[in-house]
This record gives sequence, C-alpha cells and structure tokens, in this order.
Amino acid sequence: MRPFTRLVWKEARELLRPRYILPILLLPLLFVGMGQGFSGVEAQLGQEPTVGVVDRDGGEYAQVVVGTLENESNLAYRSPDGTVDAALNETAAAGGSAVVEIPANFTERVRAGERGRIHLYTSVESVSIVGIASSAQVEELLSTAAHNVTVAVTGASEAQLDPIAREHTTYVKGRQLSAPPGVVSTAFTSQFIFVPVIIMLAIVFSGQMVMNSMASEKEHKTLETLLTMPIERRSIVAAKLVGGSVVGLIATALYTSGIAVSNLSIGEVGGTTALTLGAGDYLLVGVSLFFTLVGTLAVALSLGIFADSQQGAQMLLLPLSGLAIVPMFATMFTDVDVLGLPARAVLFAIPFTHPIIAPKRLLFDDADLVLAGIGYEILFALAAVWFAVKLFGSDRPITGNAGWLDRLVRLVQQ
Amino acid sequence: MCDPPTSMVAQAVQVENLRKRYGDVQALDGLSFEVRPDEIFGLVGPNGAGKTTTLRTLATLLNKDDGAVTVAGHDVSDDPDAVRRAIRYLPEDAGAYESMSGRQFLAFVADFYADGNEAAAMVERGVEIADLGDRIDDDTGGYSRGMTRKLLIGSALMTDPNLAILDEPTSGLDVQNSKTVREVVKAFPDEERSILLSSHDMLEVEYLCDRVGLLNDGVVVSSGSPAELKAEYDAENLEDVFLEVVA
Repeated sequence: MRPFTRLVWKEARELLRPRYILPILLLPLLFVGMGQGFSGVEAQLGQEPTVGVVDRDGGEYAQVVVGTLENESNLAYRSPDGTVDAALNETAAAGGSAVVEIPANFTERVRAGERGRIHLYTSVESVSIVGIASSAQVEELLSTAAHNVTVAVTGASEAQLDPIAREHTTYVKGRQLSAPPGVVSTAFTSQFIFVPVIIMLAIVFSGQMVMNSMASEKEHKTLETLLTMPIERRSIVAAKLVGGSVVGLIATALYTSGIAVSNLSIGEVGGTTALTLGAGDYLLVGVSLFFTLVGTLAVALSLGIFADSQQGAQMLLLPLSGLAIVPMFATMFTDVDVLGLPARAVLFAIPFTHPIIAPKRLLFDDADLVLAGIGYEILFALAAVWFAVKLFGSDRPITGNAGWLDRLVRLVQQ
Repeated sequence: MCDPPTSMVAQAVQVENLRKRYGDVQALDGLSFEVRPDEIFGLVGPNGAGKTTTLRTLATLLNKDDGAVTVAGHDVSDDPDAVRRAIRYLPEDAGAYESMSGRQFLAFVADFYADGNEAAAMVERGVEIADLGDRIDDDTGGYSRGMTRKLLIGSALMTDPNLAILDEPTSGLDVQNSKTVREVVKAFPDEERSILLSSHDMLEVEYLCDRVGLLNDGVVVSSGSPAELKAEYDAENLEDVFLEVVA
C-alpha cells in the first residue's frame, strides 16, 4: 500500500472506532424512531374520532347533529337522558374521549333564530400532540354538524353557502405558479429546510471528524511519530482531509437517510412541480458543497492542532458549527435578497452560505451568483489548505503555541 | 573507541550554535555537538536544559531560530524530507494507533520506508525487536505502557535508520525489559548507523553511550566519553559528574 493510501486508511480506521462512530449511528436510529412515532400519530389522527352523545332534545335539529356524528365518527355511546359521567366512562372504554351533550331546548332555540347551545365534554388524559389534536378533531366534527344544521334550517345549496370559488396565480420572482401563496410558502419551507440541514450536517460532521483525528493524535501521543515519517507535510494534511471527509460524509449520508426515513422534513406539496432543480443544478450545488467542505475541513484541521483532547476539539468546533447555522436559519426564515447590505455582506462572507443558498438561486435561474460563490469557495479552500500546511510545517503542532491565536483558542476552550 | 579528527568524517549529526526561544524562554543558547558514525551519543541534563527541544529540532519537529544543524549530511531546514528518511525518532511519551494491532502498526511504519518483501522483512525485524510474543497481533489499545514502549522501539530500529533518536528509550519498562532493550540499542550502531539518546538514568547512559554531552541552560557544557568526563570531574560515576556540572 502506498504511504498516502496507508495514511488515509489509518485515518478512516481511527475515526471508525466505536467511540466516534457509535454516537453517529445512534442518532439516525433516533430519527427513525421519532419518524415512526410521528407516523403513528398521523395514523391515529387519520382515523374517525370516537365520541358519545347525550341528546336531551330529541328534536329535528338535534337529529341533524346526531346524524352528523353517526356519519363522521365512531359513535360509542348514545342516550337521551344519561349522565355525562356515565357517557364519558363508556366512551372512554371504547377508546374515545369526548361527549357531546345536546340540551333540551336546542331545536327550539334554532327555530327561534337563536344560536343552539351544545356542551362538549372532553377528557384529556394525554397532554401531548395526540391528546390535543384529537380534541381538535371533535371540534371539526361540530363545525360539520353546524354546517348541516344551517343547510337544514335554510334549505340553501352548497354553492349558496360558499358562493365564491377562488383561483390563484402567484408570481415568485417573476415565475408564474398556479397555487396560493400559502401553498408556495409551504413548498419552499419543506424543500429548503431539508437542503440547508443536510449541508449543515455535512459541514459539522466532517469538521468534527477531522478535529477528532487531530485530537486523537495528541491524546494518544502519536503525532510526533507521524510528523517524523518520511512523507511531506502536505500529504499528511491531505490524508487527514480525505480520511475525515470520507467518514464525515458517511455520517452525513446516515443522517440524511435517518431524516428521510423519519419524514420529518420532506412533505408532499401540490402545485409547485414547476419548482424543481435539474441535473446540472444539482451538479453546481455539489461543486459548491465540495469546495466549502475542503475549506471547512482545512480550517477544522488547523483548529484541531490547538485541541489537546476530544473535549477540547468539541469546544473548538462550536464556532464553526455556529457559522454553519447562521446561513441555514437565514435561508429558512428570510430571503438573502431582502436583507440590508451589511447583513448580506456578512452572510456572503461566510463560505457555508453559498452552497446553502445555491438551490434557491438555481431554482430561479440565477446561476451567476452561484458561480461567483463557487469562485469564492475555491479561494477560501485554497487559503485554508495553505494555512493548514503552513501550520503543520511550524512548531505549533508540537508546542501548541500560536501567540495571540493560542490565547484566543484557550479562551474558547475554557 | 578511537576518536578520529572531526573534519575527516561525515558526521551523523552536526550541530553548531543552535538557538531556540519559546517566548521569553531561551531554550537553546548556542548549542554545539556532533554525533559520529558508529557511536551512541548521550545527551543528558536536568529538566528544562533543552534536551527534548534539541531532539525535536533534529527530528524536524521544531524549526530552529539560528545555527546550523545537519543530520546524515542533510540540513534540517533546507531538506527536512531527506532528514526524515534518514532518521527514526522515539519520543519520551509516545503511543501507537489504538485501532491497529502491534503487527499492523509495524506494517504501517514500514510502508513509509520500503515496499513488498523488503517491507515484510522490516516488519519481521520489528516483531523480533519488540519481542511481544502472541500479543503482537492484539490491538495496541490493550497494551501496557511497557508493551507499547517495546513496540515503538521495534518500529524505530526495524527500518535501519542512519540515526535513531531515542528519548528515554527504557521509560516505563521493567528491569528485565529494560535490560533487553539496552542490549538491542547497544548492538545497533555500525558504520552507517548511530544513536542519539537522552536519559535521566545515568547508569544507563554510562553503560550505553560512547560519548556524552552534558547539557545545561541550553548549551553543552562538557562532552566526552564517560571515562573522560569522570576523569575531568574527578568523579566515580557519571551521576556525580552530572551533579557537579549542574551545581
């Protein structure tokens, strides 16, 4: 095996040890578990709610309400004069939690042109998404019942009750879409939460792996031996970047799969099929991400030189993670174009911004800014790699002394 | 060993007026010495005298501020890669990669120096020097400090370096293993191989070294064979010489 290949292999072996890889494997499993939990909630909410009804009125419009409950829900309890407690108990035994009580004067009040009163008793045992969402299901049921009572009282048709049909055309940066703005917004949110999250994960995981690699060399006292091997320092830097990024990208793939399986972020969005990226667009996003990763890993490697342990490496990764999170949130909650010049300048100066905003830019055929971003990332990567090689050629990997930078790093670690 | 005139032989190490400063501390202050072929040269001195800084500079780990340093005829600043090809450095507190077995670690090191059968022969030589028995195929993460030290001694000497730089070679070893390692080190030098070692064990230095340099406050204050130094300072052993020089 050639020395460089052997070095890359060594890096991968060291970083694939259980202490590094187990936390990475466990979190995607957690995502999958969460996804299955949410799927269970969705499945539960997709079923008809189970309710009970105490109809003390028995009149014409009370019959409309009861009929709606019969059609739209699983009616577990029905009584003309039962107590609410008994109704709740029997409904709960059938898996429900809500009882509708129709008072004796319900039909009379509706006939008199007044609002009929209905009392809804809900027993919430689970203070959770499921518990609260199932109450909302019963509220929806009563809205349907109210609609049906209106039809019964007035004899109006559906068209009369909702006489305006709406058609939407939304222009997004000049692109015409046949969908309401709310749906377009949901589509963007769904698509552009996923992409920045994956990019952020790739940056953070790969950075962490490279830092772990340096911290491990120091912790296990192997750095001096490695640096006296007959191989150029830039080859050692390159091997660490390649080894760390391979493991980091494997970790990213695992997380991406975990998120995809959990279905936490990707949703079906109608009316926006015109908003999709082509193969060339994905290639540009990939190139943008590649150069950002190279630069980031070189920065992580340089920072790792100052880490004296795993914990120290974790602390040093924080500023890097923070820089990756800023453009992610900026892209998720706003559009870079609408920001003021200083904020935009700061965002564009952060190399991670460019791959994160690239998909949105390419979606609107704004490739120039993406290409300019790639140019910037190439410069950033070259500078970061040059700096890492210079650091490896200096006393700093051995002494850890870097003047004012060293004092700053110590401050962060403390 | 007869001392030939310095100018007539290519020295394994030539250090002249070496200076190195860490911030306010002048670690090396005009250090000069040479290591000849076929000899073991011992660098001894109190803590903070500059021994490790000297060894690290020779191993191309630290850059010098001033002075001239050549190893096996190569300047450490101008041609560090050639220096690295000529040396093996064993730091005082060194470890091995925990994900590798002892044999894999030796193979990892050997790959930098040779290919194919030559590398395989190198590994076998390392296995023999390390003398770890069946444990050579265990992960180094499970090794004791002494076992790791023996493995590292094996990896340092198996490549037949022109110069082996050993910082406290028997550190962490028990009496029996220390003796074994000393014998291996003692037998290592020949016309193309030298050893530069640092140790706080004066008995070890006296037993192993052909010549010794006494280092204090970043300069070599005295050098010569153990016998010469004992005569010069009218001492019974090297330990007394050391104490006399440091005082």
